[in-house]
Amino acid sequence: MLRYIAYRSVVALFLVWVVVTAVFLLLHLIPGDPAELLLSQGSIAADPAAVAALREKMGLNAPIWQQYIDHLGGVLTGDLGVSFRDGAPVVEQIAKRLPRTLEVIVTAALIATGIGVPLGTYAAIHANGRADGAISFFASAALSTPVFVVGTVVILIFAQKLKIMPAGGFIPFSEDPVGHIRLLLLPAGTVALSLLAVITRMSRASVLEVLQRDYVRTARAKGLPRKRILRRHVVRNAMIPVLTILGLEMGTLIGGTVLVEFVFNWPGLSGYLVAAVDARDYPEVVGIVMTISILFVFLNLLVDVINAALDPRISLVRR
Amino acid sequence: MTHDLNRRGFLAASGAVAGGLAFVSPSALFAQEGGTLRFALSTYPPSFDAWASSGTAAGTIKLLMHRGLLSYDAEGKMRGELAESWEVDDSGAWIFKLRDAKWHDGSPVTAEDIAWNVTEGQKADSAAYFQGQLVQILTVETPDAKTVRMITAEPLAILPGWFAHYNMPMIKKGEPRDTMIGAGPFKLSGQDRGVSLSLVANPDYYKEGLPKLDGIEATVYADENLRVAALEAGDVDLIEYVPWQSMTRIEENPELKLDTRDGPFMYLTFNATRAPFDNPLVRRAVAHAIKREDIVAAAFFERGGPLAHLPIAEQSEFYNPEFANAWDYDPEKAKALLTEAGYPDGFDCTMLSTAQYGMHQSTAEVCQAYLSMIGINAQLDLPEWSSRVQKGNEGSYDLAVMGTTANNNDPAGLSNILDGSLPNSFVRSFGMETPEITEAFARGQAEFDYETRKEIYRGLEETAIETVPIVGLAWRSQGYAMRNSVSGFANMPGQLTFYSGITLEDAMLG
Repeated sequence: MLRYIAYRSVVALFLVWVVVTAVFLLLHLIPGDPAELLLSQGSIAADPAAVAALREKMGLNAPIWQQYIDHLGGVLTGDLGVSFRDGAPVVEQIAKRLPRTLEVIVTAALIATGIGVPLGTYAAIHANGRADGAISFFASAALSTPVFVVGTVVILIFAQKLKIMPAGGFIPFSEDPVGHIRLLLLPAGTVALSLLAVITRMSRASVLEVLQRDYVRTARAKGLPRKRILRRHVVRNAMIPVLTILGLEMGTLIGGTVLVEFVFNWPGLSGYLVAAVDARDYPEVVGIVMTISILFVFLNLLVDVINAALDPRISLVRR
Repeated sequence: MTHDLNRRGFLAASGAVAGGLAFVSPSALFAQEGGTLRFALSTYPPSFDAWASSGTAAGTIKLLMHRGLLSYDAEGKMRGELAESWEVDDSGAWIFKLRDAKWHDGSPVTAEDIAWNVTEGQKADSAAYFQGQLVQILTVETPDAKTVRMITAEPLAILPGWFAHYNMPMIKKGEPRDTMIGAGPFKLSGQDRGVSLSLVANPDYYKEGLPKLDGIEATVYADENLRVAALEAGDVDLIEYVPWQSMTRIEENPELKLDTRDGPFMYLTFNATRAPFDNPLVRRAVAHAIKREDIVAAAFFERGGPLAHLPIAEQSEFYNPEFANAWDYDPEKAKALLTEAGYPDGFDCTMLSTAQYGMHQSTAEVCQAYLSMIGINAQLDLPEWSSRVQKGNEGSYDLAVMGTTANNNDPAGLSNILDGSLPNSFVRSFGMETPEITEAFARGQAEFDYETRKEIYRGLEETAIETVPIVGLAWRSQGYAMRNSVSGFANMPGQLTFYSGITLEDAMLG
């Protein structure tokens, strides 16, 4: 197993390198000059001499291969550089923002799994019944409603009408734990809703499939109690595809919570990435994308490892 | 440079201020019984560089921490800040007499500090917003610690206006340009980059009894709808950049107040380096082809007004009523002008705008529709903002939609968008030579007599109406909204709307 993890890690690192290189090159290809932008804030005319001086200071006048090698060298030593905008170290900013995004995603995943798996299992057991129909309808509706619509409606109801929740924002947990959790609930709940729909549908399909397996029929024939069959033979086996989907979804969400972060003013990594792209802040963009790709790749690896733990038949050793 | 302050640091700073307050006079204590105002900003200041132009949010924060030599009052009248008086002497030099003021670190504001700001800002690579203007100051003399004398090659009537702008605040000699040490009514006590800024009252502020608030908590709400929702929910007390579509709802809410001013404006710029817009007749045809009321309706939800002349507001003392409808909507005239220019059947061209801001895109779409009616088929180019800026600077367009404000309510503030002798920029028409306008601006800034200046700017507008260096389209309403409990804060008139942060020193809660 260790050999397998090592092998996968090397592949993952190669993938991360490919992503970082592609992002670096793409950023330099698209129009928009960071120096010019920085000096053109508030619709003012930037002085060409000042733009040229700033480009020199930012190191943008060096040949692109030189910039690339310098950047890669920095990455290898754990130095992602500093922001073009205000000189803030990129690593520090990512370290601050990433936990906030992960917090939303993990809370959403917990809510979605906690409700979605029992709901999907119940729907599968009572397949084609009234409850199954209602659950499927709910899942379809939740899946097809965009997060920004859910977010906006949730703010309208809980903040603007009922006035029981803040409309959005962020307070560090260390300053005000209750305030922090209150602010976390709406964005996490919004992300959870679409995730919940996926988990519910996946759980239902998966449980339904496992229920028809021979070993379940054998277990029933042996006279095992229904609950025990469900818990030990059905749900456990049915969870493998659910877990895979959850892992992939969470990976996607690391860079994809931008709308939720925007709607709820949650200062996470996605919003940071969008602002960095807007400002053509190359060190920030590359740093954030690299972090996201590393997390995505290694989250996939983790899912594989957990799958193997759940089902010993899944072999990790390459044959 | 980062200025992150952890919680302990914040508490220490707050404690120090609170402790300091215990020793000041009861009257000062009374004046600061204002609590903390929660202010929703539209964006996080991209930079705290005192002399750079970094947008409105940065301007507001600078107006809280810093002060310049001069500023404007809520009615838009120029007033003294670090300078208690200013006058021009017989030789044409400007003399600023400083008042007793202290920097946030307790040291006094001296004439030497002011002179240093000027000499640093005028350096070629300073990237200061007023670098181009400051170089006109040949010498700065400091005859004593409280007197600054600025000598220019020619007497400059508009010089005080530079020192009243929020992009020309004074910082302590030798401090980095993004220093937090100013002489303003509030001190920065903490910040979470990209998220929020905490400011506490400066107990040593030179205006007795001000600021009235204990502090300001400025939080970024980038989504305009959330900004309104946060105000309605009571999460914040004051918001900037009120979206036009929400203004009516805010006006109808008994718990809220709306304060709007027509100041910023939309206009068209041209690429004058190639046909057909190198021809003033074609540009005039465009000016007469567009029904501006439709722009106000489509882009600004009727919050604003048509602009069929140069952006000099009706309330301005330099307003010329005879040009009020100089570029009126007259499709027949537009067609005749096109024919006269040699384009009886119209032509194809590209119109640059941006899809990033709805008002820019909507304005472009209305212009496109009206131009097609006189045979000009404008293909829209709507990249995101940064590409739009670059294309504008490079002249990769035929005509373009732009929106901005002038530096102040004096027509001299319009040189940035009209004067073709300045380097090419996305805020001006590309490669357009405007010798008469350049000359008029030069005469206007050197003239001290009000009536003569008025006549110069009247002539300038007359030339602009004929030669069309830009086409005015619409005024847009700039709004602040607040809870009823907020008083003392005012949206400043006309082009000064983005200076409004200065009135936060008078703001009170409850």
